[in-house]
Amino acid sequence: MYAGWNPYFYMQKSGILKKWADKYGIVIKVQRFDYAASLDSFVAKNIDACTMTNMEALDMPAASGVDTTSIIVGDYSNGNDAVLTRNGLGLDKLGGHKVMLVQKTVSEYLLERAMVLNGQQTKLPTLKLLNTSDSDIAPAFLNNSSNEAVVTWKPLVSQILTDKGVHSIFDSSKIPGEILDLLVVQTSVLNRPDGSGERFAKAITGAWYETMQKMTGGGPAQAEALKGSAAASSDTVDSYREQLKTTALFSTPKAAVEFTTSVSLKQKMELVRQFCFTHGLLGKGTKSVDDVSILYPDGSVQGKKDRVRLRFDAQYMQAAMQGKL
Amino acid sequence: MARFSPFDIQARPNRLLGQVLSAVLFVVCLGLYMHASKVRHAENPEDRIVPNAQQLRSGVHASVLEPAEEDDYIAPEGASKWTRFQHSMIWKDTASSGRRFGISLLLFLPAILLALHIGLYPYFNAGFMRFVLFFDKIVALSLLPILFIAFGIDELSKIALIFIGVAPTLILDVIQMVKAVPQEQVVKSFTLGANDFDVTYRVVLRQIAPQIINSLRLNLKPIMLFLFAGEMIAASDGLAYRIAIMRRHMGMDVILPYVLWVALLLFLVDLSLRLLNKRMHPWFQS
Repeated sequence: MYAGWNPYFYMQKSGILKKWADKYGIVIKVQRFDYAASLDSFVAKNIDACTMTNMEALDMPAASGVDTTSIIVGDYSNGNDAVLTRNGLGLDKLGGHKVMLVQKTVSEYLLERAMVLNGQQTKLPTLKLLNTSDSDIAPAFLNNSSNEAVVTWKPLVSQILTDKGVHSIFDSSKIPGEILDLLVVQTSVLNRPDGSGERFAKAITGAWYETMQKMTGGGPAQAEALKGSAAASSDTVDSYREQLKTTALFSTPKAAVEFTTSVSLKQKMELVRQFCFTHGLLGKGTKSVDDVSILYPDGSVQGKKDRVRLRFDAQYMQAAMQGKL
Repeated sequence: MARFSPFDIQARPNRLLGQVLSAVLFVVCLGLYMHASKVRHAENPEDRIVPNAQQLRSGVHASVLEPAEEDDYIAPEGASKWTRFQHSMIWKDTASSGRRFGISLLLFLPAILLALHIGLYPYFNAGFMRFVLFFDKIVALSLLPILFIAFGIDELSKIALIFIGVAPTLILDVIQMVKAVPQEQVVKSFTLGANDFDVTYRVVLRQIAPQIINSLRLNLKPIMLFLFAGEMIAASDGLAYRIAIMRRHMGMDVILPYVLWVALLLFLVDLSLRLLNKRMHPWFQS
């Protein structure tokens, strides 16, 4: 569970989703999954839609040949992910030290970007990465002072930072817009001839922005929405508010559309896809980064035109913006 | 050919039929796999969940002849397959998992000796028996955070996990074997002038040694399970580490060869223990 996705849980609990689903005459079931398991099910086509980061959308379904469309760009991590070290160890001294993280995820991406942005890319190969499961990373790091560096996400970051000797030396607010939280749908479902896929996309987009309105609107409605969303990850409201501070929510469809149709999205995805390719995340058989292409709302394609696997579709967010849902 | 009569206890399939029957389930599994792979590839030619023969071939090639991603070894021009294998991903992972496996096997030796003493000596029994019984019921995996604190996150905690997970069961099993040695034998040995040492090591241990090896063979799978759990939770090399990493992007083309390789290794360890047992204790009939 992750701050930017919790509202989906509230959306279902509160009946907002049902209201919209009824309007479009469909049934939508929201199910809470372990993150890795949800990705597996999406790739296996057992579920129609799933929340995931832009990086996973590219290296899991898209790279496995499952044509995927992102219909809602929900937020970007604006400090939720961080590189933490003990005893003031800086990025320039990180070479040769052990770094705990969940490898091949946004954590590794963040670490690499941190090194590159600080002119330390030559030291990247000297880092000793220790793949550590996220369920154990906080206690494993905290209880042994010989562990010097860790890369993880909130709320684990806040948990680790309660140790006064540990400091954050880089976080995702320095790479805004590169770690995105998306709602993706199987393109084949979206294009179902009976239109049920489209109705699904419309219903869930409508419900999402109604929820967003509540989450940011103030008053008792906001308090209730925050409480409901925090409950999704069994968090307290305070802790959840704290996580939201470092999550840049696109609370209005306008903001989301602007970002999705901007040139900067392409630049950020370029960084992400190059990372995925150099780390073999696109698969052993993928010989070129252009073999897993990305289509943008303006019709431009990153990579080979005949190998589009990930599509950013802004039309449902646009419809929400124009009040046409 | 003999009549086909599977529900007759006294009927034996002839050699050929026996071979065929034993191959049937393998063929069925392979067929199901190939069918699933074909169906999925018809729908999505790049499917990675059930890789086809060609994908598997490239996966095997990558794991056997190419270095792990985190190593920057570059094979010299024209390096032989053997040198490339020695720097390969699977070799590196097998070596590090093998080391952990071997160390924990060695650690079981003192545990077995302890069990022998608990079974024979009432003072040892009083001191250890209840504790081992209690510890045997502890689900070792749930102690992981404590293990991390006590042993760090390097090799030691993984080996400790295996030991804590498997040793109590092994100890209890050995105690049972010791108790099964007829009391008369022990008394007889003493009357023939044996001392405590003789009775423990020359009468009892020698008798139950083949059973101990068999018990170890049965415990190979739990050992492997705990080793895998440890490597999946925190590691930078090892067979399970690679599987965990490959899972992150559905690298089933590498995972499946790895799984089969682990199965083969386990089979070989089991086989060598069985042969060793036969060679060392030809008199033993289980």
